[in-house]
Amino acid sequence: MEKNLIESCENCLHDEPAASTAWCPIHVDVVSFMGEMEKGDFKKAYKLLEKRMPFAGIIGMICDHPCESACVRNKLDEAIAVSELERAAVNYGKTPPKKGLPVPKTGGRVAVVGGGISGLTAAYELDRKGFEVTVFEAADRLGGSFWSFEGARLTKEAIEEELKTLYTLGICVRLNQRVDGDELNRLIAEFDAVFLATGEWEQKLEIHPETFQAAKLPIFAGGGLVYDNNSVIYAVSSGKRAALSIERFVKKISLTASREREGAFITPLNYNLEGLEPSPRVKKTQELYTEEQAMNEAARCLKCRCAECEKVCPHLRKFAVVPKSYARQIQINDNVIMGTRYANKMINSCAMCGLCTEKCPISIDMEEVIRQTRQGMVEKGKMPVSAHDFALRDMEFSNSSLFYMVKSPPPIPEELREKRERELFTYPRLSFSKYAQSIFKGDAPGTEKMDFLFYPGCQLSASYPEYVEKSYKYLVSEIKEGVGLMLGCCGAPADWAGRSDLMELSSERFMQVWNETGRPTFILACSSCCAVFERYMPEIPFVSLWEMFDRYGLPEKAISGEGKVLGVHDACTTRHNEAVQVSLRSITQKLGYKISELRYNKENTKCCGYGGLVYYANREQAADFVVDRINESNDDLLVYCAMCKDLFVEGGKSTYHILDLIFGEDLEALSHRKMPNLSERHENRANLKKKLLKELWNEMPQSEMRHRTDLIISDEIWRIMDERYILLEELEKVISHAQETGEKFFNPADGTYLASLRIGSVTYWVRYAEEEGKNRVVSVYSHRMELVKE
Amino acid sequence: MKEKVEQSLPWICDKCKKELALNKVKVSYLGGNFEVELMKCPECGAVFIGEDLALGKMLEVEKGLEDK
Repeated sequence: MEKNLIESCENCLHDEPAASTAWCPIHVDVVSFMGEMEKGDFKKAYKLLEKRMPFAGIIGMICDHPCESACVRNKLDEAIAVSELERAAVNYGKTPPKKGLPVPKTGGRVAVVGGGISGLTAAYELDRKGFEVTVFEAADRLGGSFWSFEGARLTKEAIEEELKTLYTLGICVRLNQRVDGDELNRLIAEFDAVFLATGEWEQKLEIHPETFQAAKLPIFAGGGLVYDNNSVIYAVSSGKRAALSIERFVKKISLTASREREGAFITPLNYNLEGLEPSPRVKKTQELYTEEQAMNEAARCLKCRCAECEKVCPHLRKFAVVPKSYARQIQINDNVIMGTRYANKMINSCAMCGLCTEKCPISIDMEEVIRQTRQGMVEKGKMPVSAHDFALRDMEFSNSSLFYMVKSPPPIPEELREKRERELFTYPRLSFSKYAQSIFKGDAPGTEKMDFLFYPGCQLSASYPEYVEKSYKYLVSEIKEGVGLMLGCCGAPADWAGRSDLMELSSERFMQVWNETGRPTFILACSSCCAVFERYMPEIPFVSLWEMFDRYGLPEKAISGEGKVLGVHDACTTRHNEAVQVSLRSITQKLGYKISELRYNKENTKCCGYGGLVYYANREQAADFVVDRINESNDDLLVYCAMCKDLFVEGGKSTYHILDLIFGEDLEALSHRKMPNLSERHENRANLKKKLLKELWNEMPQSEMRHRTDLIISDEIWRIMDERYILLEELEKVISHAQETGEKFFNPADGTYLASLRIGSVTYWVRYAEEEGKNRVVSVYSHRMELVKE
Repeated sequence: MKEKVEQSLPWICDKCKKELALNKVKVSYLGGNFEVELMKCPECGAVFIGEDLALGKMLEVEKGLEDK
């Protein structure tokens, strides 16, 4: 995979802190704290405070909460009352500080000058880091400005209780010890480092803004000596940061390396507030929030975290991944030499629809990550064969002589051409039957002009061959510049399956056809084809069939929608193709329908569950996509991709294909018409080619699908065949082989036969019973494991 | 791939009209080779693989090998 792609995943914002946490100088985990508060687990919430905040019982009561100014709710209504909630946590959840195990004092000796907030913080932190700490305090008690809060928010007992911690840790405290310049020099000589937190000092010190070191001396400063903002929490922060500097100084480690984001910073996370309703801050009814009020206020917290991709994608949700964790799992998977590649299934369950990229604040291109990952798996021979085998064989079928063809425009008689030109302005729509009658006189010369080549694609031809036929007849009758016809598969399955080899062959063939046919504009009726053309054959101009209908007018026979409202489901493969989206809406309105826009539409549309071949690799995941989408709207859906329609109808949603509205008659029935089964899809394609060849060019196909007429297949067997990706063609080959060679098993108990045949990389088994000259299929199954012939 | 195969299947080889008997058979997939005991025609060597085996243990092993 390209290096920059992996790097972009590393930049995923999912793990970036909330604005409040980032802006807190000691980075209290505000989101987790609020989570516990919301649940009413005040003890856990208090523990979370304690994790970052020494003397949490005091600091939690008096913190000057700069985080509130950063809270994203300020943009919506009012910041979360973090400060009030901290006080509630102290009140309802405070537990006596744990008697921490004494840390062996091997770090060195540090003098802390000043027993105020930053001094005590540094003393505590240094003790925990294994330093022997002595605190020198000028007054007759520790605590400094803690005492200025006595009464208002803190009781004397509460302050004293917290300060006791210091004594229980065994930190040496010397009260009534004023330190001056001379005394400081003495301390420098006696101790490994000195932390100066006296609020004021007799001379001006030059203090490093990041390390808090004074000049190059073994002196570090904190509190009022580094910040003049009078902030409690900044004083705490300076004590913590200076303690780290002292540790590094004594251990002779770089003071500055890897210390980004130590103090307050602005998070790159830009939490999306779209769709959120204001909800005012919970009001206090007394000095402190009640437990219930605290829980309610904490519930207002949005627990900011970037999950824009996860929010919209059933795949990311199913596997509980975001780009960062996804890329890591891919890398682990790629590096497996012996053992199981556990991420294969996940990698093959992405719809490659690109919605996550649309939603990602930094536009991480997961579609390309997955494409290249799959390509890499194929190249290394590590792509599970069964994941895409059926889809690739289906593509092979569509590009075989049974379906594939390229034809110049069918011959049009001279008189019709003139008539058409004359009537073009007054009566642009010709009746097909009249047209068809007149062109089959046999002796008409073919038109040489071919500005367009209609390429309906393989799935539309499989699901709705009659619409392809009608569309083509419409095109040749409407467009005098000549419209040829090309049938086949665009190569999308190869793209999705990571088969760049097949994709390359496919694009080469398109380029060749395009050049040999005089570089016509392709008319495409499938959004996946559009995407493949854009990506792999950017030279070839194309236009969607919908744009042609919009430009040249709709067939007169189309039935009016009479104002029926339809929710337009845009195809994910053309999320960036505005021309497709605009023309589709335009013709829908011309047809007399009203459009209701889905929440996720146009460039933000969702995949139906077919994209990326998820449908073949993980049916369960495909079904998640279907459910996610069809539950979005109560209106019937309108789609313009055959697979979208088939999947939504299978999911139980009334769905119209745009061609249903143009060519269909019994619209109600069409909205839940089931998709043809896999065997019928082959059949439909082959028959479409045969029919068009015969009707329009008076030719016969070189090859045809022929089926046995002696098989009895129940609906249940058809269902099983689809579920197991077994086609009628294969089933027939097995029975024919058994009958020709006599190689089969017989069950005298029920009179059934069991025959098998290896076709390609699959062995198919068919159990059948002879019944009055017919063969009733009893069961079908297959396996890929091969018997080794001895 | 140790699958208990029923020893008394009613199936016979239709070509040779012989009863099947349990025999060692080599199977392979994606470079993995295994020897398993399966029902086989003693005459022509045709191997019987039932639906349960194909869609059960065999599929499981196939999937496992595909992810190796």
